[in-house]
Amino acid sequence: MKRSIFLVIAIVAVLVFSSFASTIVMTAGAVGREYQVLQQQIKVFEQQNPGIKVVLMPMPNSSTDRYNLYVTYLSAGMPQPDILMLDVIWPPAFANFLVNLNPYFSKSDLKDFFQGAVKADTYNGKLVAAPWFIDAGLLYYRKDLLQKYGFKPPKTWAELIREAQVISQKEGIKGFVWQGAAYEGLTCDFMEYVHSYGGAILNEKGQVVSDSPMVKKALQTMVDMVYKYKISPVGVTTYMEEETRHIFQNGDAVFMRNWPYAWPLLNSKGSKVAGKVGVEPLPEGTGFPGVHHSATLGGWQLGINKNSEHVADAVKLIKFLLSPEQEAYKAINAGQNPSRLSVYKNPAVIKANPFYQSLWPVFANAEPRPKSPIYAQISEILYDNVNEALTKQLTVDQAVGKMTSQLKNLLGQ
Amino acid sequence: MHTKRMDPLHRTDPIYALAFIIPTLLVIGFIAFWPLGQTFYNSLFKSSLMYPQNRIFVGFSNYGKLFQDSRFLNDLWNTIRFSLWSVGIETLMGILIALMLNREFKFRGLVRAAVLIPWAIPTVVSSQMWRWMYNDNYGIINTFLLSLHVIKNPVVWLGFPATAMPAIISVDIWKTTPFMILLILAGLQMIPKELYEAARIDGANAWQRFWSITFPMIRPTIGIALIFRTLDAMRVFDIVYVMTKGAANTETISVYNQWTLFTKGFISPFFGYGSAMSVTIFLIISIFAIFYVKTMKIRLD
Repeated sequence: MKRSIFLVIAIVAVLVFSSFASTIVMTAGAVGREYQVLQQQIKVFEQQNPGIKVVLMPMPNSSTDRYNLYVTYLSAGMPQPDILMLDVIWPPAFANFLVNLNPYFSKSDLKDFFQGAVKADTYNGKLVAAPWFIDAGLLYYRKDLLQKYGFKPPKTWAELIREAQVISQKEGIKGFVWQGAAYEGLTCDFMEYVHSYGGAILNEKGQVVSDSPMVKKALQTMVDMVYKYKISPVGVTTYMEEETRHIFQNGDAVFMRNWPYAWPLLNSKGSKVAGKVGVEPLPEGTGFPGVHHSATLGGWQLGINKNSEHVADAVKLIKFLLSPEQEAYKAINAGQNPSRLSVYKNPAVIKANPFYQSLWPVFANAEPRPKSPIYAQISEILYDNVNEALTKQLTVDQAVGKMTSQLKNLLGQ
Repeated sequence: MHTKRMDPLHRTDPIYALAFIIPTLLVIGFIAFWPLGQTFYNSLFKSSLMYPQNRIFVGFSNYGKLFQDSRFLNDLWNTIRFSLWSVGIETLMGILIALMLNREFKFRGLVRAAVLIPWAIPTVVSSQMWRWMYNDNYGIINTFLLSLHVIKNPVVWLGFPATAMPAIISVDIWKTTPFMILLILAGLQMIPKELYEAARIDGANAWQRFWSITFPMIRPTIGIALIFRTLDAMRVFDIVYVMTKGAANTETISVYNQWTLFTKGFISPFFGYGSAMSVTIFLIISIFAIFYVKTMKIRLD
C-alpha cells in the first residue's frame, strides 16, 4: 500500500514537472574554466526562469572533434542539442540546420557586438548564430625573465627568436611554445605568420594565392624555430592549446602563443607563473611590404538547432548569456573576451584583464579565416601540409606547392 | 539411413525449425544486413549528407575512383602494416605467455586475472593514457629513458612517422595480447594430459612435444584468434584517432573513412564515395577472413 502511494506521488511529480519545465540541452566547452563558469551562469538563469531547465553537454577540447559530433546530431535531424556552441568558422557549413536569429536581434542590438563576428555569423543574409565570446591569438611572455635579461617584449619574429634563444639557453627552459599538431589550431597559428609577413592564402575574390614568397617565409620561420634556432621543442608538432599552457604555466617556457582564456589560469592560485606574465600582440614579420601584427579571429557563437522544440526558451537563454552583465561575469571568471563592445568599458572587467584595454586593437583588428561552407576541407589542407613541413616529411617549398595545388583542386581553380 | 522417410512425428520438424529460426534471422538481417545493404546502396550515388535530395546515380564509379586515390592506397598500406605487426607480435606473445600460465604455480589465478587488465580498460581511455605517457615533456616514457641515459633528448614519439606507428602498434599489442592469451590458454586446457604422458614414454623432448602435440592441438584456437584479431586490426580506428588523428603518416583506412563520411561528405558530394570506402573495407576484411578459414582448415560448423 505504502509503496503504491509513493509510486503515484512519483508519477504525478514527474508529470507536473515535465508539463511545466521545458528542458534545453546546450553544448558547452570545457577548456580552462569555462565549464564551471557556465554552470554558475546557468544556475542564475534557472532561478530567474523557473519553467526552464538547462542541461549542459560538455564537448571535446578539439574543435575538429566537436565539428564531427555536430555533423552527427544535425544530419540525423535530432531535436537536441537545442543550443549549439559554434566555432567562428562554422556558420556557413551549418547554416541550413540553424534557426534564423534575425527576428530576435534588432539592428541596434547587433551594433554593440564585434562586427567581424557578426559578419562571420551571417550567411546568405541570415543571422544563423550570435557571437558569444571573441578570441584572438596573443603572445604571452615571462615579464620577470625578460626584465632579468634586459629585453623588451619582441616586436618582430626575429626579436622573439633572439630573446627566446638567449633566455632559454641560460635558464634551461623552452623558448617558445605554440600549437603545431595537425588540427584546426595549427591553421590559426599558421594564418598569423602568413598575415604577419603580408601574405594570404585566398585573396578577396576567393582565389588561391598561397604560392608566394611571403607564405614560404612564414612557414620557413615556423620550421626554423624548431630546427634551426631550437627555441621551440620538437614536441610542438603534437601540441594543442592545453599542452602549451601546461608547459608555460609550469614555468617551463619563455613565450607562448595562446588565446585569452589562458590569462586567469596563468594568474590563478597554484600557478607557478602567477603575476609574472605579460601579454602583447604577436610579433610581425620583416622584409616584405605589408608586414603587420596579426591575430587570428577566433571565438564561439551560439546557434539554435532548427529541429529544436524549445526555440523560444533557447532564445531566452542565449539573450541571457549575451547580456552585458553575464558577459562581464564570464570575462572576469573565465577570461573569455566579451563579444559586446560596451563590456570592455566595464571597470571590473578591465581590472581583471588589464590587457583588454592595452590590446584593444588586437581584438578589433583580428583577422578572419577564409569564409566558406567547405572551410573544414580548406583548413585540413593547410594544417596537414604545415604539420608535414614541421615534422620534416616535406620541405617548405614542397609543402607550399602541395598546399596550393590541393587548394586549387578543391576550389576548382 | 532412411532419414528421408517422414513418419508423422518428424514431418513437422522442418516447419518448427523454421518457425524458431525466423526471429533470429530477422534480427540478424535487421542489425547486420540492412545497414550493409543501405551502405552499398549509398555507395552507388554521388551525394552529401546535407543535400540528400541532390543525389546522382553514378553506378560503380566511386569504387573505381577509390583505387586511384593515393591517400586511400597509402592508408591501406598503413593499415596492413599495422595489422601485420600488431597481430604477429600479439600471437607470438600470446602463445608464450599462455604456455607459461598453463603451468602450475603459486598465485596462478591471480596472475591470470591480472593479465586481463589492459584488455578490460576501454580503448579510448588507454589510448589517452598512453598519449600522456608518450608526451615529450611530462611523459613517463621519456623521463624513464632519460634517467637511464638511453636517450639524450626527449623523443616526440607521436610526432614523426619513424616512431609514431611503432608507438601506436605497441599500445595495441599491450592492449590485446591478453585477449590472445585468454583464447590460447583455453585451447591449451583442452589438450588431454595422456598425450603428453605417452609422448614422454616414447622419449620425445620438450621441443618435439610442442610441435607434435601442443601446436597441432591449439592450431584451430589460434586460427579463430587470428581471425578475430586481424578483423579488429584492419578496422582500427580508436587508437589512431585518439593518439595522432592520422598525423605523422599513421592514418588508417577507417580514420580516412570517418573524415570522408563526416567532414567531407556532410557538405560536399562525397558521402557516396565514403560509403564505397566502407564497403571496400568490409570486402578487404572478408578476404582476410576467408583466407584464414581456408589455410587454417578451421571448421566453422
